[in-house]
Amino acid sequence: MTIFPENVSTYGQDIDNLFWLILVFAAIAFVISLFVLLYPLVKYRAGNGRRADYITGEKKKHFKWVTYALVALLLSDFVILYVEHDTWGNIESVPAISKNDVHVGIIARQWNWIFVYPGPDGVLGTSDDVYVDEMNSSLHVPVNANVIFELRSQDVIHSFFLANARLKQDALPGRTVMRWFNITKPGKYDISCTQICGILHSKMRNFVLAETPEQYKHFTDSLYAANKPAPVAAAAADTTKK
Amino acid sequence: MENTHHKQSFWSKYVFSTDHKTIGTQYMIMGMIMAGVGGYLAYVFRYNLAFPGKSIPFYGMLGPQAYNAFVTIHGMIMVFWVGMPVLLSAFGNYLIPLMIGSDDMAFPTVNMMSFWIFAVSALVLIASFFVPGGAFGGGWTMYPPFSAGGYLDPNPNFFKALFSGTSLLILAVALELVAMLMGGINFLVTTINKRAKGMTAWRIPIIVWFLNIAAVIFMFSVGPLVAGAFMLLFDNVLGTGFYDPHRGGDPMLWEHLFWFFGHPEVYVLLLPSLGVLAEILPVFSRKPLFAYKTIIYLALASAFLSVLVWAHHQFVAGIDPRMATFFSIGTILISIPFAGIFLAFMATLWGGAIRMKVPMMWAIGFIGLFLVGGLTGLFLGSNTFDIYAHDTYFVVAHFHYTLFPDIFFGFFAAFYYWFPKFSGKQLNSSMGKWHFWLTFIFFNGVFFLLFFNGLAGQHRRINDYSSFSLISREPYQTFEQIATICAIGLMLTQFIFIFNVVKSLRKVKTGVKNPWEATTLEWVSDSPPPHGNFNPYPEVFRGAYDYSLPDAEVDFTPQNTPKA
Repeated sequence: MTIFPENVSTYGQDIDNLFWLILVFAAIAFVISLFVLLYPLVKYRAGNGRRADYITGEKKKHFKWVTYALVALLLSDFVILYVEHDTWGNIESVPAISKNDVHVGIIARQWNWIFVYPGPDGVLGTSDDVYVDEMNSSLHVPVNANVIFELRSQDVIHSFFLANARLKQDALPGRTVMRWFNITKPGKYDISCTQICGILHSKMRNFVLAETPEQYKHFTDSLYAANKPAPVAAAAADTTKK
Repeated sequence: MENTHHKQSFWSKYVFSTDHKTIGTQYMIMGMIMAGVGGYLAYVFRYNLAFPGKSIPFYGMLGPQAYNAFVTIHGMIMVFWVGMPVLLSAFGNYLIPLMIGSDDMAFPTVNMMSFWIFAVSALVLIASFFVPGGAFGGGWTMYPPFSAGGYLDPNPNFFKALFSGTSLLILAVALELVAMLMGGINFLVTTINKRAKGMTAWRIPIIVWFLNIAAVIFMFSVGPLVAGAFMLLFDNVLGTGFYDPHRGGDPMLWEHLFWFFGHPEVYVLLLPSLGVLAEILPVFSRKPLFAYKTIIYLALASAFLSVLVWAHHQFVAGIDPRMATFFSIGTILISIPFAGIFLAFMATLWGGAIRMKVPMMWAIGFIGLFLVGGLTGLFLGSNTFDIYAHDTYFVVAHFHYTLFPDIFFGFFAAFYYWFPKFSGKQLNSSMGKWHFWLTFIFFNGVFFLLFFNGLAGQHRRINDYSSFSLISREPYQTFEQIATICAIGLMLTQFIFIFNVVKSLRKVKTGVKNPWEATTLEWVSDSPPPHGNFNPYPEVFRGAYDYSLPDAEVDFTPQNTPKA
């Protein structure tokens, strides 16, 4: 049994490492605190005429121990904040789209994930975009490429969760959120919805299918061939677009 | 003021009573009944999680809609109809007048209204299960547009919308907040105006301080939520679009308004229980509370910080990434005063003469479990790790490790401690110990393994994981089953408690005023305290925690003992 599902993204390992770092701090704090809590229950039991010490804790020499512990806690908190800061920025800010990147749209709807491929011109938001609105259709992506996606919702709040990439992002109606991932290993990975969205919330599943660049090219070529531009339909389908 | 001994009818004595003790008891009984309802809901959906697709004993088949509703209402009940009434209202009402040496609350009639509005709110909530469409099933956070109705009903109708599960839930919450506001005003005015002679600010017991700080936090944060709730109600029944992006609204607005209240609410629930610990630990350690004044300052600091952390619930909601860093820092900062309070509590034990009686066991168990809850908060306060852990069972396990000890261990500690005062009788202590140990073990059995389910990527509020390959495999399904079996054990254990209470209530009164040898004023009164509480009214000469004074003969010196 492993703690986390297999990590397949470029930044996933940073999140797993962060977990272990925090776990070290938390475990140290846990062991010390548990000792401080339980030791006196053994050592200072009533009986044998024992009378408690009169300590109000208002004196510096007594309170300093609490201060030390709080400073240690604050320091470890800021160490965590410092370590995580770059990872946060890396995940939450989208890299500039370059030629090798894939730019797609993901639209959440009760209760499926709709994928928008940019069409032969490779640019999202143009009339040759192809909408794939099927259960279990899978978002095809090439491995080792930045996949930059525009996340939207057509109805209620959903949340896009790709556990194997350690990525989660809410999809709010009325907003477009840009996020990205880069998958390093071919395979089929679950997308789940983590924001309760109605009766079939439990069934709101799709996949990211990471393929070799050749397979991906083959897939998009046949997808685009089968969906010769139908500009009017495509524009109409894009209802939430500004 | 004279004690009044006029004859009271059954109705004015037990039902529409203005006596703070009766109202406190009513709140407690109501809270316990609602805990039974919330527990039953938890039993049904936990059974479903462990044995998906099986018929549930004492319920039947659970469909996805009912599952969502049960999860939602379970959360609502445990926070608003158990935590609030039991911790804040029951103990606040019962204890504040007794502990500051007063005959009653400042506004007894408002107090009575507070309870009855609360009772109505509970009825409205329960009624929402029986309207067409059933109770609301969109999570206790009620995020619109899902909770704004328009997307669910193609033919909107005012009355249909008003008597929908969603609207009734909003109304029930609004009524509950009104009841708590009335209680909160009473706490503050009573504490400020009705203290016994000599009860200066720095002699007030911590629990009274904390109940008042909780009331202030509540009043400060509840306004935006009430406004937000009415906008949500209007979206539902009048067809406004405050949260509808197609009509210029924004669902993110609700998230901010909700959590601006929702996070401080956590501290509203936590502070009264910490107050309970502050009363119990010194009594059973025979030692003054460590750093009394500092604890109060820390609590005031946490009250201030509590309104600066709300958006840590929204790290993945699409807020500005720079804003998340601010709220991460706020979350770190607020952990400091609470860690300080817990450390001061633990320091109280050092050098004491510890009596391991039943209330003390609950208090120590509370701290031990809360330690797990608090430290797992470190993971979630980190905005980066929260990208992964948000809305998984890691979060579920984390907040149950904070709220369960807070609400239930806090309640049981207080109940075992003050029961001799409530009733003049003692609870059986070996049954109390069984109750404690079984609750402690079963609670860990329910939630500890769920941390691992969460880390494996198991997301919340899913009635059937068969679609998800990461979760619908071993050992996670076994963990679910262990959790469910322990949850059933946890609920059955509470019958020991009920049996103990019923049996003890049938015993003859011992009439012992101060069985634990405590120093605060409630122990000066008779057990149970008569109408009017004290005769004569006590005068206060010293702080609340004078245990083991070096020059005193006995190891406790009550607050009404004059200084030598």
